[in-house]
Amino acid sequence: MSNNQEFLEVKNLVVEYKSDGQIVHAVNGVNLKLGKGRTLGLVGETGAGKTTIAKSILRILPDVGCKIRGGEVHLDGKDLLKISENEMRKIRGNNISMIFQDPMTALNPVMRVGDQIAEVVRLHNDGHYDPRKRAEEMLEIVGIPAERYMEYPHQFSGGMKQRVVIAIALACNPDLLLADEPTTALDVTIQAQVLDLIKDLREKYNTAMLLITHDMGVVAQVCDEVAVIYAGTIVEYGTKEQIFDHPTHPYTIGLFGAIPDMNEDEEWLHPIDGLPPDPTNLPKGCPFAPRCKYATAECEKGPIQTYKTADGHDCACCHIADVVKGGK
Amino acid sequence: MTPVIEVEHLKKYFTTPRGLLHAVDDVTFTIEKGKTLGVVGESGCGKSTLGRTIIHLHESTDGVVKLNGEQVNHLSGNALKKAREKMQIIFQDPYSSIDPRKTAEQTIMEPLIVSKKFKKSEIEEKTDELMALVGIDERLRRAYPHELDGGRRQRVGIARALALNPEFVVCDEPVSALDVSIQAQVLNLLKKLQMDKGLTYMFVTHDMSVVRHISDDICVMYLGQVVEKCPSRELFKNPLHPYTQALLSAIPSVDIHNQTERMILKGELTSPINPKPGCRFAARCPYAKDACHQAQQQEEVSPGHFVTCCRVHEL
Repeated sequence: MSNNQEFLEVKNLVVEYKSDGQIVHAVNGVNLKLGKGRTLGLVGETGAGKTTIAKSILRILPDVGCKIRGGEVHLDGKDLLKISENEMRKIRGNNISMIFQDPMTALNPVMRVGDQIAEVVRLHNDGHYDPRKRAEEMLEIVGIPAERYMEYPHQFSGGMKQRVVIAIALACNPDLLLADEPTTALDVTIQAQVLDLIKDLREKYNTAMLLITHDMGVVAQVCDEVAVIYAGTIVEYGTKEQIFDHPTHPYTIGLFGAIPDMNEDEEWLHPIDGLPPDPTNLPKGCPFAPRCKYATAECEKGPIQTYKTADGHDCACCHIADVVKGGK
Repeated sequence: MTPVIEVEHLKKYFTTPRGLLHAVDDVTFTIEKGKTLGVVGESGCGKSTLGRTIIHLHESTDGVVKLNGEQVNHLSGNALKKAREKMQIIFQDPYSSIDPRKTAEQTIMEPLIVSKKFKKSEIEEKTDELMALVGIDERLRRAYPHELDGGRRQRVGIARALALNPEFVVCDEPVSALDVSIQAQVLNLLKKLQMDKGLTYMFVTHDMSVVRHISDDICVMYLGQVVEKCPSRELFKNPLHPYTQALLSAIPSVDIHNQTERMILKGELTSPINPKPGCRFAARCPYAKDACHQAQQQEEVSPGHFVTCCRVHEL
C-alpha cells in the first residue's frame, strides 16, 4: 500500500446493531486506507458489513438500535466521528457522497429528476454553482439530455436512474465517493456503460472511491486496492495485483474458486462448504474457521493477528505457510 | 428419439394501454432428454416469460409447445394438471416464491397432496426422500422460510419442484439471488440431480459465467426474439451476432492481466410495444445499415449454429 498521505483512514472501526435483545456484531475492528484519486474495492458477501462501513463513514447509520462502538474515521486529518452533526452535514454531499445500491428506491418518485440533482447543489454547495445550471450540466455529463430535466424517475429506465443517482453523488465534485454496489441492479451491457462513466469522471476530478461490491470481475476492472471482508473483519488486504495473483486467505481463495470459470470447462464448481457465521454469535477466533480446510485449534483460540505475505500484503490467517504450500 | 420439449413459433403478446407488447416473438427450439438449454438476455428480453409460457403459466398467443411429442399448450382442466406434473419450475427469488407461513416440510409436501396420488404414509416417506435429496437437514423440517438462509430456501424450492418426478424443469434465475459461495453449492446440486434423474432443464439467467457452466446449448434473446442459438462452447468461442459479441465483451473478467478492450453499446433496450419489423437490436448495433430494418431470417451458419442477422457473413 502506498505510504504517501492517506486521504481517508478508517481505524479499528466497531459497529453493532441491536436486534431482538441480541447484539449483532456487524463490523469488528476494521482498518482501511485510501489515497486521493485511488479506488479501494471492498469485497464480501451479503451481511459481511460492507454497507455498514460506508454508512459509518458518512454517519448515516440509523439512530435507533445501532451504535458505533469504537474507532476513528479520518478524512484529510479530521476525525469525522468526533465532529458535530452540523459540521458533518457540511461534509456530506460536498466532500463525501454516496451512490446507493438500488436506483429504483434511491430516487424520490414524486420529484423531477433535475430538481433532485439541483437540491443537492443548493444544500451543499454554498452558492458556488447555480443549482439549475449545474443540474443540467450533470445530466449531460452522465449522458442524459438536459431536456429531460423536468421528467420523473418512472419515465427513466434502470440504467438511466442509476446515472441520475451518480449525477447527484458527483454534483458537488466530492473528494470521496462511496459507491455501494453501483451496478448490481443493472444488466451487463448497461453496467459496462456505468463503470466506464464512473471511471472517466473519477479521472477527471481525481476523486477517491470506496467501491463496495461482491463481483470480483468489477473489482478487477475498476480498483487499485482490494480489501476482502468476512463477517465484519478484513481478512485480506492488498493491491489488486497482490490479491488477484496471490490470494492467500482461505476465504479469498474459496471466493475465487466458486466463480464458474469463463475459459475452462469444469464438471463441478468448488463451493465453500457451510454458511457464514451468525453475527449475534461469532466464533471467538477466526470467523472463517468453521468453514476452513486449514483450521486447527489455534484458529479458535482468540482474535487472529494480521500477517504479511511473501509479496507484502496483509492476511489475517495464522496458517499462511500451509495455505501457500497448498495441497488442500 | 423425440425431444422432451419442442417449441415451434411460440408467441406471447400482452395487451397494454399503449399497444401489444411482444414479450416472446416467434421462438423455435427443441431440448433433448437430459440436456440443458440456457436462455440468456437482459432484463425485459422475455426470457422468463418464455419459460413460463412453455409450462403454461401464461397462455400462449400463438405457436406450439410439445412435451414428449404431444402438444400441451392448448390443454386445460385435468389434462393440463396431468401435463404439469411433468413440467415444473424453480423460481428466481427464494424469498418471495415460498409461502412464509408454511414450514419447509409443508411446502415440499404440497404438490404431493395436491396430486391426490399418494397415501399419507407415502407422502411422509417421499418428503423425507426429497429433503435428503436436496440436502436439507432433518432438524430444519419444521423451520419457516424466515429461519432459513437463501441457499436453503432455494433448496426447498428445488425439492418442491421435483416432488412429482417431473421430466422437464424451468430454472428461472435460480441462483441470482445467492452469494457466489452458496451459488456454487446450488449449481452443483442442480447438476447432480440432472445426472441422477435424467432431468431436462431450461435454464434462464442473465449471468454468462453461470450459463456457460451449466448449459449444453444456449439461446441468446433480445426483445422477445432469439438472435443466436448454438452449443455452449461454440457461443463463447465464436459469437456471431453483434449483440452476443457486445454481451460477452461487457462481462467484467476476473483476469486482471488480460483486460480486453470492451465493446460499449450506446443506448438502451428499445420498447417491445408495437415493435417495427426488422432487427430489434439495430438501434444499438454499431454495424446497422438499411437492410437491418427489414424482416430478418434465422440462418444456420454452421451445423447447429443459428444466427438472425443479415450481415453475419460480412462481419
